[in-house]
Amino acid sequence: MSRTTLGLWSVAALLFLVAPLGLGAFWQFIAIEALVFALYAMSFNLLLGYGGMLSFGHAAYFGLGAYGVGILMAKLSAPFWLALPAAPVVAAVSAAAVGYFSVRLTGIYFAMLTFAFQMLFFTVALKATVLTGGDDGIVGLTRPGVLVDPAVYYLFVLFITALAIGLLYRMVNAPFGQTLRAIRDNARRVQHLGVHTRAHCWLTFVIAGAFAGLAGGLFALSTGSVFPGWLDWTASATPIVMAVLGGLRVFAGPIAGAFVFVGLETVISGHTEYWPLFMGAIIIALVLLLPGGILGTRSARGGH
Amino acid sequence: MAVTESRPDDAAVPEPLLRIEALGKRFGGLVALDNVTIRLQPGEFRAVIGPNGAGKSTLFNTLTGLHRPDLGRVFLSGTDVTGRTPHALARLGVGRTFQITSVFSALTSLENVQIALLAHSGRSWNVLAWARSMQVTQARALLDLVGLQGRESQLAGTLAHGDQKRLELAIALATEPKLLLLDEPTAGMAARERLESIALVHRIAREIGLTVIFTEHDMAVVFAVASAITVLHQGRVLAEGLPEEVRANPVVHDVYLGETPSDNAAEQEPA
Repeated sequence: MSRTTLGLWSVAALLFLVAPLGLGAFWQFIAIEALVFALYAMSFNLLLGYGGMLSFGHAAYFGLGAYGVGILMAKLSAPFWLALPAAPVVAAVSAAAVGYFSVRLTGIYFAMLTFAFQMLFFTVALKATVLTGGDDGIVGLTRPGVLVDPAVYYLFVLFITALAIGLLYRMVNAPFGQTLRAIRDNARRVQHLGVHTRAHCWLTFVIAGAFAGLAGGLFALSTGSVFPGWLDWTASATPIVMAVLGGLRVFAGPIAGAFVFVGLETVISGHTEYWPLFMGAIIIALVLLLPGGILGTRSARGGH
Repeated sequence: MAVTESRPDDAAVPEPLLRIEALGKRFGGLVALDNVTIRLQPGEFRAVIGPNGAGKSTLFNTLTGLHRPDLGRVFLSGTDVTGRTPHALARLGVGRTFQITSVFSALTSLENVQIALLAHSGRSWNVLAWARSMQVTQARALLDLVGLQGRESQLAGTLAHGDQKRLELAIALATEPKLLLLDEPTAGMAARERLESIALVHRIAREIGLTVIFTEHDMAVVFAVASAITVLHQGRVLAEGLPEEVRANPVVHDVYLGETPSDNAAEQEPA
């Protein structure tokens, strides 16, 4: 990419990110959703695109982050500045427990175990009514001070997600990420180089869980609510679709996937109640036309 | 069986780099390794030969920690390393290559070697440094050593088969092993390429004082470079000695060398 095109793209990206400020509360809410899901899909892609681990239960960590914030604020009266940082911590601790068992398995068995743990968390969220509100979820979460303004909260989320995605970028380009790619390509080879591959995958699972939890916490504070459906198994399909749509082997792929997904969903659902039908058709078309993902075709080489 | 008594009692004899004592491994009803005892002195270039199913792969997989032996012990420079995990053994200096070429196909040649160097220097966990600029000089030097100069930025998966074997050697050497196990290093190569390839490994091993143990089906390759040969048959050590001794051994001739092993059959042994 030449310097001029890069410059043009940067200006376009900047305009795109500033635009919601002038578009009113509805589009600010949608923009927040897009950013949050971009981070969520990126955290998922750390597992699948970089580590070759297909998790069917990633929504659990998004949901746990959201419930962490919801329970701390609504039931324990914790302040925002304590509740939000707790979201990635709660998710990371849960991911550590689940990952400890899951990374012992690979392929479809890994997927099934992550799925089973997610069902467990879902059931708890549904039945532990005292804490979670059961089916009704938790509602009425409020943001403090100026963050009540959706425009300000949008900027806040933009700042946090940019920071988080920047950190992920460092990680995947650090020895940690390079080694993770190598494990994806050939775990046994890496093992015989002296790397504890299982521990490496475990740490990856925890990091991915933490970022998903942060996304969940940010989203709960955007909607002011948390519902058990967020950690239902169908919710785990969302980051998978976003990551595949955007491109698994490109760092920014899941961002593109999330933006396109949320954008399409918003526009189409505003016109017809049969929006999932059209969404499905468009996603099928995109996957068939761009097999490497929206950004995948731009990159001839994998992994970067 | 009192294995400890078989320790060399002559104090002048140095402790072997690798001492395998009465190793036994069975898979269900199949005895894969039966009372295998092998000593490897530093600097040896030892060939392990035997017909398909003789136990060569099981021996290698047990020595590198993929299988846990049922019986017997393995000592590395006098330290008991029996039953250690693959990564622990790698950290102790046991390197290996695989019968089916094992490189990181979606990464460049340079990155392949860098990953091994980073693993060896214990930096695989670093989450903040830029891996791209780390240990580049060393990685290039290793690629030069195996004759892959100019291929640094090529994806490993797109390299020719012989070059992938070279790259795998560079990866293994990057961890500075004391002992290198080569499982069928010339598998899938043309006859002439095999001799060139093993000569390269032999030259490097001599230069850096590396001890090597390798399995091989091509007898021309074995007799060209092996400092000693161990013959496995049905999980047992059938014979062991200098190449000329093994060649002259009538028993070996009967069960193995007389068979004129075909090169095609050699490719079919399961990994």
